[in-house]
Amino acid sequence: MSTPTDRLRSRAGERADRDTHFEVEQFYYEEAALLDEGRYADWLDLLADDLDYWMPTRTNRLRRQQALSVAARGEAAFYDETKESLAWRIRRFDSGMAWAEDPPSRTRHLITNVMVRHVDPADHEGFTENDLCVGSAFLVYRNRLEREENVFAGGRTDILRKAADGRLQIARRTILLDQNILQAKNISTFF
Amino acid sequence: MTSTNEPQGAATAAPRGALRRPADLARNLDVSGLVDTEGGLLDRVIFTDQELYRQELRRVFAPSWLFLAHTDQFHKPGDFFTTYMGEDPVIVTLDRDRRIRAYLNSCRHRGARLCRADFGQTRNFTCTYHGWSFNLDGSLVSVPNKDGYPDDFEEGKWGLVEVPHVETYRGLVFGTWNPQPVPLRESLGDMAWYMDAMLDHDDEGTVVVGGVHKWVLEGNWKLAAEQFATDWYHVNMSHASALMLLAPAGKKPRDEVVHRTGRQYSDANGNGAGFPVHPRNRFDARTVHEWTDYDALRERLGEARVEGPLTNGHATVFPNFSYLPVNGSVRVWHPKGPDKMEVWAWTVVDKSMPEEVREAQRLYNLRTFGPSGIFEQDDGENWSEVQAISQGFITNGVPLNYQMGLGSEREDGRHPGRTSELYSDAAGRAFYGRWRELMNTPAWHEESKA
Repeated sequence: MSTPTDRLRSRAGERADRDTHFEVEQFYYEEAALLDEGRYADWLDLLADDLDYWMPTRTNRLRRQQALSVAARGEAAFYDETKESLAWRIRRFDSGMAWAEDPPSRTRHLITNVMVRHVDPADHEGFTENDLCVGSAFLVYRNRLEREENVFAGGRTDILRKAADGRLQIARRTILLDQNILQAKNISTFF
Repeated sequence: MTSTNEPQGAATAAPRGALRRPADLARNLDVSGLVDTEGGLLDRVIFTDQELYRQELRRVFAPSWLFLAHTDQFHKPGDFFTTYMGEDPVIVTLDRDRRIRAYLNSCRHRGARLCRADFGQTRNFTCTYHGWSFNLDGSLVSVPNKDGYPDDFEEGKWGLVEVPHVETYRGLVFGTWNPQPVPLRESLGDMAWYMDAMLDHDDEGTVVVGGVHKWVLEGNWKLAAEQFATDWYHVNMSHASALMLLAPAGKKPRDEVVHRTGRQYSDANGNGAGFPVHPRNRFDARTVHEWTDYDALRERLGEARVEGPLTNGHATVFPNFSYLPVNGSVRVWHPKGPDKMEVWAWTVVDKSMPEEVREAQRLYNLRTFGPSGIFEQDDGENWSEVQAISQGFITNGVPLNYQMGLGSEREDGRHPGRTSELYSDAAGRAFYGRWRELMNTPAWHEESKA
């Protein structure tokens, strides 16, 4: 039972409640299913129009220079995308001639370690405390052709926007792959 | 800019002790019959055989100029970058005299990898095994428990093994273990004219976008190096999906894209560069296209270069450095055994580009080339599938075809050196011709033993 005082208290930066955690987890599982089923157009619908989708490269640095081990904005990245550029990439699959995914790979996106907090608008301009700042971990298994196997493990930091209709939308996503040299011949899926 | 460094380290005899390898430790095979440049045939065993691979490291990689880095990666003394020459790990750094030098990344004591960071800034390199420490000039400056060594132990004899020659060409740093190499510029020959189409747009030269894309491929390094030298032919098929994306929405690629004409340069050093010839060739980001001052480029580089290698194409500097001029993508195919390579790719942009143009070029490059690029994804698939089946006994013995454009190489009066048609295997034949020549030629390290 919430009291009037609770409702007035700012939720900025606070851990979200159990229902919200459940909602976010289900949202991620549905998203993972769309990617594993190759339903990319439906996946695009989960992305906000002002999406920033970034997967920087990571380097081995001396411990005292560790702060620099993730490539900065504007440096080398595996993905540095807008919703428009992701749509462009996805159109490729419709050509029927995207050989790196024809025959298609089998993938399984496992999403875990979900931690949900309300956005602190002081840290994220343009967002409100109704929006959510979410950390999660992923393990993506890719099996391709006869015996090709890849495991992509890493973490994501998202800002999920609570749209006017109550649905969640991915507005920001930073993906940190736990690899230095990419241990795969290409990245043909999304995270 | 040229700097020639005196060889030291292993090339210098230690005052105490001596080692000698048995002469038959490394057997050299005669590869004359594996490459037929006149008939345009290639034996697939050169992509699979472990002994041939070891011979490549000795005779192709060790004596050749190999790409190390871009000069823009070194601004202050102690800025360093670690990479490979063949399978040899090296540290490239700027010494106190602001000279780019390269050393074997292996401690002279017990051989541990000396530096385990990809790049950074340091005052010296200290081995984390026993603590031997080396200066930026490669000299050994600190040995824990030095008193335990014989009186005649001289630190001066145990400096890092230095790459004896490091030279740069328009921002690209190359090194070679060959103690008496043909100078870099001379070995590039006419190839430099084609490279300048990417590197010499104005007096300011090029800079690199931070970071290097690195990924693994299950394929022999020559598959990639050869393709970048000689293969526009694969573009329409392998990259059909990408070409569709670059066409206006809902339309097929224009005929002028599919039915291109152009030229392909090749030379006896194994270098190759192909490019469509067309006044409006450019494949790249609109922002970059609009910023580019084509009149100034025509003035500087001439019509033939602007309508050819500047606006599109592919190239390989033998053995394993390749680039795409329109994207500013430069890369090394590091050999990792006969069936594996590692791709290290940099994005190079004109220093004079304003921030937003540079950013447009960076984004365009990462979306088209690199491991997630709409073009490069499909290249990886081709090479790994060529490799995956090549161990079959019958498969391995079936020759590959490099006969397109046989005999078509000529001086065309517009582009330096000899060129063939855009769709041609001429540079592939030249690449493997050079490979065969080096594989059958004893390198300096063998001659000294004879």
